[in-house]
Amino acid sequence: MEPDAAQNPSPSPVPPPISAYYQTRAEHHAVVTSDWLAHAAAAAAAFPGADTADAAPPPSPGGGGVIEEFNFWRRKPEAAEAVAAIMALAAVIRSSRATTMMELEIELKKASDKLKSWDATSISLSAACDLFMRFVTRTSHLEHEKFDAAKSRLIERGEKFGEISLKARKTIAMLSQDFIYDGCTILVHGYSRVVLEVLKLAASNRKLFRVLCTEGRPDRTGLRMSNELAALGIPVKVLIDSAVAYSIDEVDMVFVGADGVVESGGIINMMGTYQIALVAHTMDKPVYVAAESYKFARLYPLDQKDMTPAHRPIDFGVPIPIGVEVETSARDYTPPQYLTLLLTDLGVLTPSVVSDELIQLYL
Amino acid sequence: MPDVQPLVSDFVLKLKRRKVEGSHAVARQTAELLRSVVSQHRMGSSANQAAALADAVRAVGEQLISANPIELAVGNIVRRVLHIIKEEDISSTAVGIEGLSVTVDSDDEYDSEHDDRPALSAAVLAAHARNALRAPSLQTLLEDIPVSPAISGTASSTGDSDGKSKSAGDKSSTRKLKHDVIAAIGDLIDEIDSCYEPISEQAVELIHQNEVILTLGRSRTVKEFLYAAKEKKRSFRVFVAEGAPRYQGHVLAKELVEKGVQTTVITDSAVFAMISRVNMVIIGAHAIMANGGVIAPVGMNMVALAAQRHAVPFVVVAGSHKLCPLYPHNPQVLLNELKSPSDLLDFGEFSDCMNFSTQDGSPLLNVANPTFDYVPPKLVSLFITDTGGHSPSYMYRLIAEYYSADDLVVRRKATS
Repeated sequence: MEPDAAQNPSPSPVPPPISAYYQTRAEHHAVVTSDWLAHAAAAAAAFPGADTADAAPPPSPGGGGVIEEFNFWRRKPEAAEAVAAIMALAAVIRSSRATTMMELEIELKKASDKLKSWDATSISLSAACDLFMRFVTRTSHLEHEKFDAAKSRLIERGEKFGEISLKARKTIAMLSQDFIYDGCTILVHGYSRVVLEVLKLAASNRKLFRVLCTEGRPDRTGLRMSNELAALGIPVKVLIDSAVAYSIDEVDMVFVGADGVVESGGIINMMGTYQIALVAHTMDKPVYVAAESYKFARLYPLDQKDMTPAHRPIDFGVPIPIGVEVETSARDYTPPQYLTLLLTDLGVLTPSVVSDELIQLYL
Repeated sequence: MPDVQPLVSDFVLKLKRRKVEGSHAVARQTAELLRSVVSQHRMGSSANQAAALADAVRAVGEQLISANPIELAVGNIVRRVLHIIKEEDISSTAVGIEGLSVTVDSDDEYDSEHDDRPALSAAVLAAHARNALRAPSLQTLLEDIPVSPAISGTASSTGDSDGKSKSAGDKSSTRKLKHDVIAAIGDLIDEIDSCYEPISEQAVELIHQNEVILTLGRSRTVKEFLYAAKEKKRSFRVFVAEGAPRYQGHVLAKELVEKGVQTTVITDSAVFAMISRVNMVIIGAHAIMANGGVIAPVGMNMVALAAQRHAVPFVVVAGSHKLCPLYPHNPQVLLNELKSPSDLLDFGEFSDCMNFSTQDGSPLLNVANPTFDYVPPKLVSLFITDTGGHSPSYMYRLIAEYYSADDLVVRRKATS
């Protein structure tokens, strides 16, 4: 019923609940508007029961702790949501009293399911939980492994995932350098730590290039991105979102990040990515996606409505007339035929490789 | 390596002067040269013989690649040889691990706890050895078994058991590694030489009775492919585009007629006019890129676009030595080579015009003679290699099979 609710908001003044995915992004990107505050307050007021339920002591100490641990980690601005998820699961292992691998797996499964249901709209959260659970399953099948040794190894690997994430970003930045040449113009959309790392490394390698940023309404991510790029000394121009087609002829390539990479090889990213990819594809400009491999998710959307909607508040600056609907989705799905290459820490991949990687992992 | 340096210098000079033409000849000569490098390499006393061997090959490879960056077959063969060295080294390591396990099992003095640890190490090392050959993947994302300490541990463990046998075993295993690498490179050379036969065997399934085939220029792979179809009593016709300005299509047309194939020569500009009568386009390639794109003789992109416009299948036949693990960024500039204008203009006729210039001295008449075209993967219907038919989106799998991911990164880092 959620899609119906999204398409036909009831006349009652209760707004649709704000997606936790969007809240995470807003907090990371330090984007706060008065409208967002109003919506947050309204949401809190509208669901006092839920808040009370969340605040109540959870039935299992380990199970309840996973959410608190995740919230602690995801507030760190440099940590990706996937890193926070895996750190939370590693904390569950650390505090677990299980004495066998089977027990530990069951406990982790419960914690993982709880994390995923906490925010059904976050794809990287879901993908990270699946990846870690898969790793645990494969570890438990290693022969001659003592339980204590296995447990400590799981904790160690989980806690080092933050390093893996940072290393992934550096690997992607290194692989991307060949695609950026002197004199080129790059169009970026959305605020992506990986894309920023790519451009930062290119600038430090003394390459001369120009960046066009989309404005990124209503979050104004383009302003954040252009601010950071200007600080690095990169010439940057901000476009309003509808100016992409107007400016595409001076663009040499498009760089976008990804919230999730789905099994078809397409990506789920900030609203507007699909539109830009369509324009770039028509004008024969390459679209490069910079994404870490732990964002590969076992989803196969066929169109935009196949995804769980992730709502966000939109501040138009003036009141919306009564009876007018507003599309509040925060992201869109870009099919693989509009993407040229995926730049990941596994190497440079064509979109068709994604399903192969996922099959190898989960088969 | 003073012994092979004259060979290397000689080949580098040939590459620089473009004396060796064609991917096949370049690939073969590169493989032969690297085999000499491996043969002449003096195995020092360093702990990791395979790494020293790989470094020697890599040093020579860098010289060859920089001599002619456009000829991608050189880099392909260098990476194949590096992959071969890694494969043989891991095979030796696996054998060593098995020996270690046997030693542990046969020693009755150890108790159960001691038995567990070496077995675990062997299992983990074996798993890591399998993973090392494959490209990084999601499966290994969370695993991080260090390479050098583990292998060093194995070596020292072997040394602890018997110092003298370690010394003897080490020497013989070194010789065996070198011999295995040389034999594997020999297999690679044989594979390069005989790549035409497996490709031609697939001609029967592709070319049917009374079909019309279009090709441009001349490619030996295409020639052998069409010969095989002719020998199987397929009655088909071939349109050969000239392939200006070098007119290699004329050579191919003569060869086909000698074989009894009904042949029509057309100009390059006539391709679009004739494409509607064609059932299939079959071309050779200079290189196949990692994304499924093709570096092919100039004019081929035009043929591919015409074929797509008329829904004609566009088939590329190429040996596996033409698979290149690089991605084409800005392919028209970086992967092209401008040749001498003498192919286009007779100097006697036009040399007067070339004397005129503007005020700043630049000539009024400029001649561009590019060698290659880049055909994007969406225009290619099918690749026929010596391992069978593949779609463009499948090329990454073949490339992951032939090359190590480490070599790709090292190569790129070294050049940049």
